Order: sequence, then structure tokens, then C-alpha cells
Amino acid sequence: MIRYIIKRLFSGLVVLFIVSFITFYILSIIPGDTALMRLGTEATPELVAQLRASMGLDLPWYERYIHWIGAFLRGDWGESLVFGEDVFTLILQRLPVTITLAALSLLIAIPIATIMGVVSAIYQNRWIDYVARTLMQIGEAVPQFWLALIFLVVFAGQLGWFPVAGYVPFEEGMLDSLHSLLLPAIVISFGLIGILIRIIRSSMLTALQQDFMLMPKVNGLPGKTAIFKYAFRSALIAPVTTVMMQLAGLLTGTVLVESIFALPGIGRLLLVAVEQRDILLLQGLVMFITATVVLINFLADILYRFINPLIRLGGEESA
Amino acid sequence: MHKLKANRTFILGIIFVSIVVGLCFISFLYLPHDPNKMNTTERFLMPNPEYLLGTDQFGRDIFSRIMVSTRYALLVGIVSVTAGAIVGITLGALAGIAQKFLQSLIMRIIDGLMAFPGMLLALMFVAVLGKGLGNAVLAIAIFMIPSFARLAYSLVIDQKNELYVKAARSLGANRWYIVRKHILPAMLPRLITQWSSSIGSAILLESSLSFLGLGVQPPNASLGLMLSEAQQFTLTNPYIAIPPGIVLVIAILGFNLIGDGLNDSIVERRSAK
Repeated sequence: MIRYIIKRLFSGLVVLFIVSFITFYILSIIPGDTALMRLGTEATPELVAQLRASMGLDLPWYERYIHWIGAFLRGDWGESLVFGEDVFTLILQRLPVTITLAALSLLIAIPIATIMGVVSAIYQNRWIDYVARTLMQIGEAVPQFWLALIFLVVFAGQLGWFPVAGYVPFEEGMLDSLHSLLLPAIVISFGLIGILIRIIRSSMLTALQQDFMLMPKVNGLPGKTAIFKYAFRSALIAPVTTVMMQLAGLLTGTVLVESIFALPGIGRLLLVAVEQRDILLLQGLVMFITATVVLINFLADILYRFINPLIRLGGEESA
Repeated sequence: MHKLKANRTFILGIIFVSIVVGLCFISFLYLPHDPNKMNTTERFLMPNPEYLLGTDQFGRDIFSRIMVSTRYALLVGIVSVTAGAIVGITLGALAGIAQKFLQSLIMRIIDGLMAFPGMLLALMFVAVLGKGLGNAVLAIAIFMIPSFARLAYSLVIDQKNELYVKAARSLGANRWYIVRKHILPAMLPRLITQWSSSIGSAILLESSLSFLGLGVQPPNASLGLMLSEAQQFTLTNPYIAIPPGIVLVIAILGFNLIGDGLNDSIVERRSAK
């Protein structure tokens, strides 16, 4: 297990290195001169050249990469062009909104998807299965931004249950803050429910067909007990990792929803960075998000091996 | 019994996709109105015999705009996924038959690309290349590469150990020949399934980018752009956000259902063996 963790950690770091390389390379081909952009068009050529030299822009790209990754590892992520603030601080400021949003949507999606997924697998091809599968297909096909518009009109506009847009910070009251995030969270959870039903249903179907399900039947255990005692437990192993990986996707999945509901989160920050071509901010965000993804995938892998007795007790499986 | 159910998903998908493809084809032959013609005296009309789906905030015919939009949706969906699939499958197959070093090099780069969650890669490319339809296609195509590469890689690894491949190799066939003549045909059902469901996600991604103002540019019509323009009027005129959204859902759902239907039949064929 420990050998596996080290091996997995190493390959995670390799992936991160490749990601940093891809990110840096792609963003370095952005047309436009950062020094000129910062100084404005009035600047003299000498001044531009001076700033270029001091920013290291006249060096070849691989030297700039080494400089950048070095500063990055020391926590110096540069200054945002748009906000004029430290990139790392900006990200940390916006993070709580996105994390709360993601957590709320998972909190809504997981129980619903688990119940629907399990029930639809047990009653395969019955009406309840069709309901679950329809919900799954619709959840996967309905664009979040469209759902957000519809929900805004119905629940915020017509019924007035939620604020139309805007975010109440935590300091102004926990409940108000959660209330302002609830409608966006419901929108995000809709798509999540679709994906999760699919995974939980298929994993439950597989579990129900396993040989170990015959044993309780032979022993005369009632069907339902067997299902929950054995199938359910084994069926939930695969979804745990998927849920974690979804969490990573949520960081960017919130771009659209945050922009519609005017929430000051990571997604909105990302959109500003893209629209304004704020390269340092974009670099920082991309690295932050992908590092989170790699970390979560790593933890999901370890957790998967830890909770799956077959792998935990069966020794090393070549990855 | 099972066969029928798998087919039902597939048939429903075909019906939905036919609706969208039909709208797209008809749009080249006939449009009820000029999709970009503004008419401020006829803004926000509800559906009527003259304007089948009503008019938008500029008095443009929503139905004509939707018909033109389906061209972009299908174009972006099919072109970007096909391009991404070709590159991805080539890379994956190459990794599958290559020596250890090349294999791990390709797969680590694919892993690196996979670490970018959906929108992020597309957004990054739009930031570099600029807004617009062509760049959106390119961004989505690149986004599609890793999943196809992964699938092709694992399929090639699976097939490599099959008896018929070993037989061909012992007869002296070279590796690319085996891949083209034996492995690729065996992989085709899975790849087509992936292709179909990917078109659904590509259409979703295109509409998302256009909604954010980064894809198809005004005054052209795209389903995402129509919804984006409708956004500021939704509270007063919610109707204009409904038709483009429904067509978008039909398009995405159609391709997803075809993918699912195909997948079900593959799974069944395998378990029947």
C-alpha cells in the first residue's frame, strides 16, 4: 500500500509538471505584449524594453518557464493585470464561495442520486427505473445555463423564494449567505444527479449480479436485507471515487452558474481572466484548479484501494 | 425483450437527432424569415401564424434563428468531435503498440490533458486564440482528444492479447497492418458509441461558450448566444428563453441517447457471447 501511494504520488507530480508545461506553453503564445499592455500605448520604446527586461520577457521561453515555475513554487504567483492584486490572494478570496456552492450541490445531489440509482437498479425495467433513467438523461442533457435562467424566472422572479442575483457574504449571516447560494446549488446539482444516477445504477446492477449475492439467498435471508447488507456496500465503492472526481470538475463547472447569478467565485474570476487575457491570473487559476484535480484524483485512488477489501487484502495490483 | 429496450433508447435518439438535422437541412432551402432582420415594431411577439415561435427582443423571427443555429450546433459538434477523435485514436493506438518509453510519454501527456476539467481547457484556448466559431471548434476538438486516446489505448491493449491478433503476428504481419486490419474494426463499435455521446457534449460546450460570449459572435445565431441575449429579458419576457433551450436539449439528448442505445447493444452482444 505504501509503495503504491509513493508510486501514485510520483505519477501525480509528473502529471502536474506536464500540466504546468502545457499551461505555460499555451499561454506564452498569446499575441500581445504584456509590457506594452501594462504601460499603455503612450510609453516610449526604451521604457517598454526596460520593463520587458525586468519582467524577463526578453528571455527564451524555457528560461522564462524555469523562472516562472520557481517563483510559483515559492508562492509568488504574480500580480493580476485586471485587479492589480496578488493572484494567490485573489484566488483564496474567491475560493469560499465556490467551495460552499460545490458542497451544497453535492449535499443535494448525493442523497437523491443514491436513492434513485439504487432503487432503479433493484427494480430494473420497472416504472421507477424509467423515472430514474429519464431523470438521468435529462440531467445530463439540460444545459446548466438554461436551467439557471428558467429557475431564476420561476423561483426568484415569479415565486420570489430566492434573491434574483447577488451573493450575501458569510459575515452578514450564515443563513442569508446559504440562502443566496441555494438556487445556484440546485441548478448545479441537477446535472450532478444525472451523472451520479448513471454511475450508482450501473454499479448496483453489477453488484446484484455477483456470485456473493447467491449466498444470502441460499441461506434464506430476505431479499431486502441481502441487498442492503451486501450489494449496497459493494456497489458504493466505485461511486465514491467518481463523486470525488466530480468535485474537481465542479470548480470549473460553476463558471456559467456563477456568471448568471453574479456570484464572486473562482468561476467568475476565471471568466474575467479569459475575457481580459489576464495571463498571470489565468496561469495561476489553471494551475490551482488542475493541482486540485490531480490531488483529488490521487486521494480518490487511495481511498478506493483502502475501502475495497479485494484490493486492500489482495496485495499490489499493477496500475 | 432486452433487445427491444436497448433499441427504444436508440430509436428515440434517432428521432431527436432527425428533428435537429431536418431543421438544419431545411434552413438551407427555406427560411420563414430573414434570421437577422430586426423589426422593432414587432418585438417580443408570442407564437402566431406569421411567426411560428414568436419574435425576440429585436423583433427577429425566433424560428428562423433556431433553424440557422442548428447549422452551427451540428457543424461544431460533428467537426470538432471527428477531428478530436482522429487525433485521439491515432495517439492512443500508437501508445498501445509502441515501445515502453513512447507509450508512457504519450499516456502521461494525455493524463496531463485529462487533468484539465471540461471548460477549463476550452476557456484557455479561447483566451489564447480569441473569441469566435473557428477557435471554439479547435478548443472543443482538443478537449475531445484525451478521452478518445484513453479509450483507443485500452482497447488496443485488450485486443493485442486476443488469439487472432497473435495469429496474425506470427504470420509476420507488421504492427500498423494489424491495427488497421484487425484491431481497429474490432474497436469500431465502442469508438462510434463514444463519438456519438461526445457530439452531445460538444454541442453543450459550444452553446456554453457562445452563452459566455466566447463562441459564435452576434449577429449570427447560435442556440447558446440566443439564450445569452435572452438573459437580460428573462424576468420580463421569459418566453424567449424557452424555444432555443428546448431545441438545445433535444439536440444534446438525441446524441446522448444514440450513444447509450449503441452501448447497451454492445454490452448485450458481449454478454450473449
